[in-house]
Amino acid sequence: MGDDAAGPIVLDRLAGRLPDTIALVESVGDATHLLETWRDAGLAIVVDAVVSGGVPGTVHRIDGIQGFPGGWRSASTHLVGLAEAIDLGSAVGVLPESMVVYGIEIDRVGPGLGLGPDIKAAVDEVADRIVALCADYA
Amino acid sequence: MTTAREISVEYLARVEGEGSMRVKVVDDQIEDVEFSIFEPPRFFEAFLRGRPYSDAPDITARICGICPIAYQMSSVHAMEDAFGATVGGSLRELRRLIYCGEWIESHVLHVYLLHAPDFLGYESGIHMAADHREVVERGLRMKKAGNDIVALLGGREIHPINVRVGGFYRVPTKKELEALVPELEWAKDAAVETIKWTSGFTFPEAELDFEYVSVCHPDEYPFNEGRIASSKGIDIPISQFNEFFIEEHVERSNALHSRVRERGAYHVGPLARYAINFEKLTPLAQKCASEAGLAPVVNNPFKSIIVRSVETLYAIEEALRIIDEYEEPARPCVEYTPKAGVGHGATEAPRGMLYHQYRLEDDGRIADAQITPPTAQNQLTIESDLRFVLEQHLDLPDPELSWVLEQSIRNYDPCISCATHFLDLTVERV
Repeated sequence: MGDDAAGPIVLDRLAGRLPDTIALVESVGDATHLLETWRDAGLAIVVDAVVSGGVPGTVHRIDGIQGFPGGWRSASTHLVGLAEAIDLGSAVGVLPESMVVYGIEIDRVGPGLGLGPDIKAAVDEVADRIVALCADYA
Repeated sequence: MTTAREISVEYLARVEGEGSMRVKVVDDQIEDVEFSIFEPPRFFEAFLRGRPYSDAPDITARICGICPIAYQMSSVHAMEDAFGATVGGSLRELRRLIYCGEWIESHVLHVYLLHAPDFLGYESGIHMAADHREVVERGLRMKKAGNDIVALLGGREIHPINVRVGGFYRVPTKKELEALVPELEWAKDAAVETIKWTSGFTFPEAELDFEYVSVCHPDEYPFNEGRIASSKGIDIPISQFNEFFIEEHVERSNALHSRVRERGAYHVGPLARYAINFEKLTPLAQKCASEAGLAPVVNNPFKSIIVRSVETLYAIEEALRIIDEYEEPARPCVEYTPKAGVGHGATEAPRGMLYHQYRLEDDGRIADAQITPPTAQNQLTIESDLRFVLEQHLDLPDPELSWVLEQSIRNYDPCISCATHFLDLTVERV
């Protein structure tokens, strides 16, 4: 993987840094899995790689309950993605009380590339912000 | 004097993959119908050359996010065919079980979120959910029942990693499997309701003369093994696939188009499996099909949504049977010796028969690979079907006509990512 590994690597960075009451879950982004993961949660924090035309390494923070910008849609229709999962969760009433989505603007994608330097910094930043957010939430 | 108008849809929603559909109408006569794929081909066959045989299940599983099990199964059966290995007993049953999981998750997703909105007049499953919350929740819960099977046997829900030539890396305990039972029991009732629900939709009139092709096994509704049979008399071992079917490159498309040699278009998928194997469905599935108004052969492609629902019920019942009878095998994998040769595998992906052929070197490295996905096999049939639908509905205003055409394509649950991504629909009237 290249920069698109940003999400799972944030999870790695968070290992051991959060209270036991907070579950770390890696998801391929399938709506069924996301909705099941979010069900009954008070707060959900989602981290994903994004390509929106911004500067690589930019960290976007979105209130998931308010919904996504129009252009942030999954291309696939067999794997209904994050934005659609939020819309679907809203329609069927299974969204958590609060949801924060961190999108890390990425650049290079390819086998074995690893994270670019700007993305590494963004990953560390997001991990720190999540630790702080969880502390505030607790 | 002629006038021209054009209907253009940016892309065809709720269809996996990228391609285009172009239709030309001159003086109310359909002159041309093209179903094209324009993304560069995926080169998976080339990726495999020179790699060890054991890489094939995990590499080919990446071709499609919704039917990785199919790719894994066709590849392992082809390798085992080349090596003379036989996988029986509980390991064989586990292969059917993981396939049940894939059918459930894929069929339920398509029925509830991709196809039903067409019949109920919604732009998408999300729009439908606003008015049909309980129905959509039922679908999501059913899909999860399938996901759970794949996650347990495959190691994870998407792109599973536990399938190998000869069996599995790890097999589940009876207790692990039994934990799936309560939700599958619920899903069985939900599947019966799904058949009733879909059979209540309004279906356009259509009776098409398909040549149906599917894997056919003497004792069971087909997932993994059997012969290749057609509704027009083909009955061959899987190894003869290329003698009866041909893949041709079509200039407008990067994907190969398949046809029956000497005859032409054919159709793989739920309608084909159902027509060729109806008597092997469970009594409950047959009963529900009958109560839904389905004959043992269905030639209206719009009713594929009901057949897909019947197959979902079958897969759930079959999963429950396998779990009930399961005895943990002594070993997770049978022994075999890699050797030079050619192996063939054809299994039933949710959207139709998937054929793999590999030529292997002495050390088990892949010298050559052929992967023929179901959507490539259905392309000519989709074109033919679209022509029929156009003939029936030419008098419709353009937006309604586009809707019916899109719905028609979705009848086939095309997974164009298997050959390529996204569809662009253009209807030109001259």
